[in-house]
Amino acid sequence: MKRSFISLFLLVILLFAMSSLVMAQDVVKLGFFAPVTGPAAADGESALNSAKLAVEVINEEGGIDGREVQLVEYDDHLDSKQSVSIAQKLTTRDNVVAVVSGSYSGTTRPAATIYQNAKVPMISAYAIHPDIPKTGDYIFQQSFPGPVQGRVGGYMAVDDLGAQKIAILYVDNDFGSTLNDNFQEYVKEKGAEVVYVDSFAIGEREFNPVLTKIKGLNPDLIYVVAYAGEGAAIMRQSVDVGIEAQILGTEGMDSTTQFLQVAGEAAEGLIITTNLNRDSEEEQVIDYINRYTEKYGFAPDMVGASTYDAFMLLAHVMRQVGPDSEAIKDAMYEVEDYMTNTGLLYRYTEVGEAIKPVQVQVVKDGEFHYYDQITDMDIIAP
Amino acid sequence: MFLQQLLNSIAIGSVYALTSMGATLIYGILGILDIANAGAYVLGAYLGLLFYSLTGNIIISFAAAMATTGLLGILIQKYVYRPLLSQPAYIPLIASIGIFIFIENVIRLIAGPTIKQFTVKLPFSNLDYANLHINNVWVLIFIVALILMFLLWYLLKMTKIGLAWRATSQDLDIAKTMGINTNKVISLNFFLGYSFAASAGILIGILYNSIYPTMGSVVSYKMLAIIVLGGLGNPFGTVIAALLIGFIETMVGAYIGFFIPRNAIAFVALVIILLISPKGLFTQKSRI
Repeated sequence: MKRSFISLFLLVILLFAMSSLVMAQDVVKLGFFAPVTGPAAADGESALNSAKLAVEVINEEGGIDGREVQLVEYDDHLDSKQSVSIAQKLTTRDNVVAVVSGSYSGTTRPAATIYQNAKVPMISAYAIHPDIPKTGDYIFQQSFPGPVQGRVGGYMAVDDLGAQKIAILYVDNDFGSTLNDNFQEYVKEKGAEVVYVDSFAIGEREFNPVLTKIKGLNPDLIYVVAYAGEGAAIMRQSVDVGIEAQILGTEGMDSTTQFLQVAGEAAEGLIITTNLNRDSEEEQVIDYINRYTEKYGFAPDMVGASTYDAFMLLAHVMRQVGPDSEAIKDAMYEVEDYMTNTGLLYRYTEVGEAIKPVQVQVVKDGEFHYYDQITDMDIIAP
Repeated sequence: MFLQQLLNSIAIGSVYALTSMGATLIYGILGILDIANAGAYVLGAYLGLLFYSLTGNIIISFAAAMATTGLLGILIQKYVYRPLLSQPAYIPLIASIGIFIFIENVIRLIAGPTIKQFTVKLPFSNLDYANLHINNVWVLIFIVALILMFLLWYLLKMTKIGLAWRATSQDLDIAKTMGINTNKVISLNFFLGYSFAASAGILIGILYNSIYPTMGSVVSYKMLAIIVLGGLGNPFGTVIAALLIGFIETMVGAYIGFFIPRNAIAFVALVIILLISPKGLFTQKSRI
């Protein structure tokens, strides 16, 4: 009796071991983390939606060499302690072949070290701090790095819009300070005067005192590095206060539901630097926007598009070299002229920074439209 | 310029006064720092938008959202705080933080994490006189705040239940032995405290044309600075403290620049004032 019990027990264990072996061969596991709850939950949800859509599309297209792709997703709560422990889970327990970060720079930076040490490639979808790809050779950025966007902002402000007196308002985190530093460097080099610089915390909604002060300084242009909520408040209150200067924003305000609808008419004429061209005639961009809108009931933003692109890039590479972490890393440096929804990826630098064109969009009749596309290598090469 | 900044600061101060009032009332009677009040602020805003989209009438939506959130206050008081009253003060505090996180996340799960618009057409428009600008929602906030403060003053000073309320806040046990139905008084207190928070949530939602699940997070700690400064549980001290914080934040931002984040200024002011007057601007004696 006892022996039969033991043999039954061993048989069960054997079956489990075999099934997990078979499963491990059957699926390709891709890791993903995003701030699905907490203060950046809207961006987290947008990223997660796109991650799910991307995996669905990859599997419809036959997966990776006939093997199904499985998404292993975690919520980092926009907390770097969480993103680090998630990185440990993904690399040691879930054994994923590659990871996409759908989170901000603050959470992605510390996690990147762990992926690097575990030799698991990670693509940061839209976290743009320049230190992220510098972590090591396994770490890449999907979008152009922050300094590039800051420089393009400076180029638009001075060379395109002809501003000479500039005020700056930026969100006090990695994203805001990176863009502010590089924007300032560019415009000062070009001889423009920065008359006012101020930062604010995420979640700030009251800008009347600051905008009243800026109005008194009478700048030609205000450079605003903000997310959708703060950006919408700045746009509305600058109309209230009576500011007539051109406002130049960044990809943080690239959201239809969260920014354009809340800011309403106050957003008219705003120009932003971003990576998603809403007027693109590329079939894949139109397909992505339509399919996302159909599945989730609202239009995607640049966060979603960037996350989707990161997964598609991984699938593209894995179809060439197979789902192997080491091979994926090597193949990433070979990618050339690959078309993403967020523009043509020319190639990766040896640090893992993407060289991509920067889109400039303008708000007209309550929608983002094409204004310009910056492809000048002097500006967009990191 | 200075006048405009003064107007800005009064607007911000009135907003703070309204958001801190609920927690002040509750501290005044039970001595609990009610962080969950910031949850009521968020819930009120969402209920206000829900009722407004159903009825299209902002006054009805206001009343309905305040009443519903007030009822939630009674339930929380009855089933969470009352069983914890005999415990040390930090235990109900932890419970209230838990309730706040719970409310925030339930709202996120039901309504989604994205910002929702709260557009209400007011019967009067912005006032622009010479170089001065007064937002029409500020006017609404002044009016609502004045009405609510007057009602509160009338209730506390002119009615029998107000007398019972004051007695309960001075000494709960003695009030009970004197035949006061303290449970009823405390229920009324929570009803008002939570409905005040709801009204603040709706007004802020309209002011910034946006509501979102985490809108209560700054409120949850800034209201602490204000009620401590206002002398813990003193409604009229809270109004003064709120206006003062609004004034300091605005003027520091306008004339000195943000050497520290704006939200930290309230706490710097708090530390300085507590060093000078450890009981806040107003002492416990004048509490309610």
